[in-house]
Amino acid sequence: MSKVFHEIEKKIILLLDENPKLTPKKIGTSTGLTPDQIRRGIEWLKFKKLVIVEESQQVYLRLGKNGLGANSKGLPERQLMDLLKEKPRKLNELKQELKSIFSPAMGIARKNNWIETDGENISLKNPPSDILEEKIISKIGKNKILVSEIEDKKTLEFLKKRPNFIIEEIEKSQIISLSEKGKSISETVKISEDVVVKAIDVEADVPKTFVAKTHPLKDIINEIREIFVTLGFTEILGKLAQPCFWNFDALFTPQDHPARELQDTFYLDGVNSKKIATPKQIQQVAKVHKNSWRYLWSINKARQMVLRTHTTCDTIKFLADHKPDEARVFSLGRVFRNEKVSYKHLVEFNQVEGIVVGKNTTLRDLMGIQREFFHRMGLNKIKFWPTYFPYTEPSLQSMVYNERLDKWVELFGMGIFRPEVTKPLGITKPVLAWGGGIERIAMLKYGLDDVREFYSNNLKWLRSVTKCQ
Amino acid sequence: MPVIALELPRLQKLVGITNRKKIVEMLPFLGLDIESQENDVVRVEYSPNRPDFSTDFGITLSLLGILGKKKGIPKLKIKKVSDYQITVDSSVSKVRPFVTGIVARYGKIDEKVLQQVIIMQEDLHFGIGRRRKKSSIGIHDLDTISFPFTYTTTSRNHKFIPLHSSEENSISEILQNTEVGQEYGHILGNSTKVPIIIDSMGKTVSFPPIINSSMTTVTTKTKNLFVEVTGTDKNGVEDMLAVVATILQSAGFELCTVKISGAKNSTPQFKKRQIILSQNLVNTMLGLSLSPRKIVSALKKSRLDATTKNKNIICTVPRYRFDIFGPMDLVEEVVLGYGIENLESTSSPSQTLGQKNHDNNILNDLSQTMVGLGYMEALNSSLTGKRILYDLTNRDSSNIIYVKNSKSQEHTILRDSILPELVNNLSNNIHELYPQKLFEIGTVFLKGNPIKEEFHLACVSAHNYANFSEIKSILQSTLKTGFNIECKTKTSSYPTFAEGSTAEIVVNGKSYGFIGKIDSSVKENFKIRVPIVGFEVKLSGLIFD
Repeated sequence: MSKVFHEIEKKIILLLDENPKLTPKKIGTSTGLTPDQIRRGIEWLKFKKLVIVEESQQVYLRLGKNGLGANSKGLPERQLMDLLKEKPRKLNELKQELKSIFSPAMGIARKNNWIETDGENISLKNPPSDILEEKIISKIGKNKILVSEIEDKKTLEFLKKRPNFIIEEIEKSQIISLSEKGKSISETVKISEDVVVKAIDVEADVPKTFVAKTHPLKDIINEIREIFVTLGFTEILGKLAQPCFWNFDALFTPQDHPARELQDTFYLDGVNSKKIATPKQIQQVAKVHKNSWRYLWSINKARQMVLRTHTTCDTIKFLADHKPDEARVFSLGRVFRNEKVSYKHLVEFNQVEGIVVGKNTTLRDLMGIQREFFHRMGLNKIKFWPTYFPYTEPSLQSMVYNERLDKWVELFGMGIFRPEVTKPLGITKPVLAWGGGIERIAMLKYGLDDVREFYSNNLKWLRSVTKCQ
Repeated sequence: MPVIALELPRLQKLVGITNRKKIVEMLPFLGLDIESQENDVVRVEYSPNRPDFSTDFGITLSLLGILGKKKGIPKLKIKKVSDYQITVDSSVSKVRPFVTGIVARYGKIDEKVLQQVIIMQEDLHFGIGRRRKKSSIGIHDLDTISFPFTYTTTSRNHKFIPLHSSEENSISEILQNTEVGQEYGHILGNSTKVPIIIDSMGKTVSFPPIINSSMTTVTTKTKNLFVEVTGTDKNGVEDMLAVVATILQSAGFELCTVKISGAKNSTPQFKKRQIILSQNLVNTMLGLSLSPRKIVSALKKSRLDATTKNKNIICTVPRYRFDIFGPMDLVEEVVLGYGIENLESTSSPSQTLGQKNHDNNILNDLSQTMVGLGYMEALNSSLTGKRILYDLTNRDSSNIIYVKNSKSQEHTILRDSILPELVNNLSNNIHELYPQKLFEIGTVFLKGNPIKEEFHLACVSAHNYANFSEIKSILQSTLKTGFNIECKTKTSSYPTFAEGSTAEIVVNGKSYGFIGKIDSSVKENFKIRVPIVGFEVKLSGLIFD
């Protein structure tokens, strides 16, 4: 336990050491602390088990209306007897003189045999020198006193029965005293008073500070960028809105293919691109579509603007514009799918795609690059399965084993760009492409089961995520 | 991607092996993704370019191959008979020019087979049929009709009893009143004549590509089938027929020719193609050193035929494998036959040096600067809704950019500003401790030629003592620290901000955005009680070109 005490605590402990049982009010009068300081001080000390707080009830007495009257003018029976001191009086006379107190005064005086009557006149008989009630009334006076201060309980009971003489008030209060532990510590406090001048309680709880941070998903994105770069890839940036030409046509997806339909792709309403590619690129792509898919290729369909469905449109455009013999390039960014939003699907998510161009690059190399990538992401159990993409052949997908979910999770796709994709754009060397969604990897890393969490900006989650993973 | 539910007991019988686990393990190596497995049923996703995988019969053909139980092309045995003939009238050339067909006899159609056939038909219609536009199939009970047939056109008043009906309907009525009519009627355009197949008795067999006649309905009592495919492309209709023929033969039917003539139509030949594959291509692409003999063996396991010729391989591709375009497709078939599990990954050092994108680096540095100023990074979708972007934030919506037919109501327009999203984020966090300070850097979209994409930075600060000076200081500090840019704030107005506490962000006399105190009406809309200040600054043109 901390041996350091707050000034307030010290004052209270030292006071209680001298006066074992005190109410908070008494502590206030003796120490000059405010009620609020005392309340806090007692709470702290109670928490540290240094004081004992007893809840107690105190009964106070004060005078009522008739009591106050008796205090200033005397009790009704005293007033009566004072009148009779000089001479006996007539009943009616007394009635007029004493008014409302006449009846109680007569009653009590008669009962106690202090007066006598001969039918017409009333005179003193055995008047007392002291009336016990008078002592109590004068003791209370205009104050409020504890009931314990009155010793003559019998008379108090009589007085309480008389209307409006005595008012009882019950006040709840605390009685504070030092616990055994508190008594033993008071010596230390006395000493520390002299030794430790400005110490604070370093062990106490403190308010939380929330750290501002970059978004957890952005951290993964940057980690992935870093890995791509160290694997020899150079980053390119592309636009999010693209003409169909680069998103579909250049990638050998026929214009009447169901994948291009509205239910999978976000078309921008009424937005078309005038300049989509060079005339030669357009002509060659149109030709391969006509020859391979046997339909009438339309340039207007290629001009329609869509929100890119993959980042492959950036890599293919880069290849078409630069025609490198040797290259490693990657593109990372938002892509869009017209899907119902659910715990596993978003309309907008991040995708990374890398391509490798080189005359000696093989599918096995691409598998090796992917293994290395996943290894660096901390994912080591990997296998490959065949799959289908319209623009690669052969096409594989990488499956990663997740221990928490106890199953294989499909992560990235990969393949060699079809000659129907590369040849029309003048790309002569084989192009290997690989990539996939980033949120899926991020979900594994952060242990999330609902992909929407990444975009809900829920401060509770953002503030709680471990930064340095 | 389409999904098919496979019943394991059926598949075990068809493949002829009892080891259920082994079958399930092999499925992914055909490119079939296992979606789920429950007791006897495995649901797998298959590639849309493999319509033969729409039935367990088709999957069995390939499974037998990679298991090594049957190799080479599953040969189509088609009996040449002269009983079945279709004559094509030249009037169809303007509406749906091509027809082809086949007869499948002596088969057994139980519930399961019927179900498989219907699923296959749906898949073919959707995929290679391009929603029936390019090609469509009708499958009929052969014993209800009498050959020869005529494929011709008729008027929209022509009447017959369509499938699932008991009354005669005119073509017009069918197009108007039936679900299929409403969905596919547009394929016929507004031509007065529509395609029709009529049997020798003058009875209607089929009204392609919409609906069959009720008369030819296939049931579990049907023994013999007639299959017709019509479409706009001669190769396309035969491709589709080839899939159906291959599947029906695997299902135990005997196939017979249907002779077709007239108006550029002819009897289907199911011709195989030969593609020459060089050993070199296979080995350089895969990084292997397979002998031509090994390549041939792998291709045969993929149910293709192949022979060696010096260092080349002559590969024969059956008609139903029209997903194969050229040698590169065969490289994939070699991989599948060879077994991907046998393909070991190699690691070769990179010949190039990597580099990050400069713009992205700058945006990241800006993020770090904002974090240093105590702001938490938020990420929002750039596809958003009108309510948040315009209605609740009082913004002018005259330049909305819509996407077509969004399936999600909250994502229908492209954002032209980030700030409304951040205010919405605050609204979702009213139960969390204040102060709350958020920022986001992202793309916004503006109408342009054809569309303009800009990078913006927006940030908000919400707490009991939030005030204009605080946020102005943050703005100036950000631009100064990040880019050594001095900015001024000039009195202005902006609908999201409170009148009198709003300014334009000005750098070198040019406006780059707005800063201010969020208007109380906006806060009320978002049910936020604490004061909010914020700004949004355009980065494109300021720090980028």
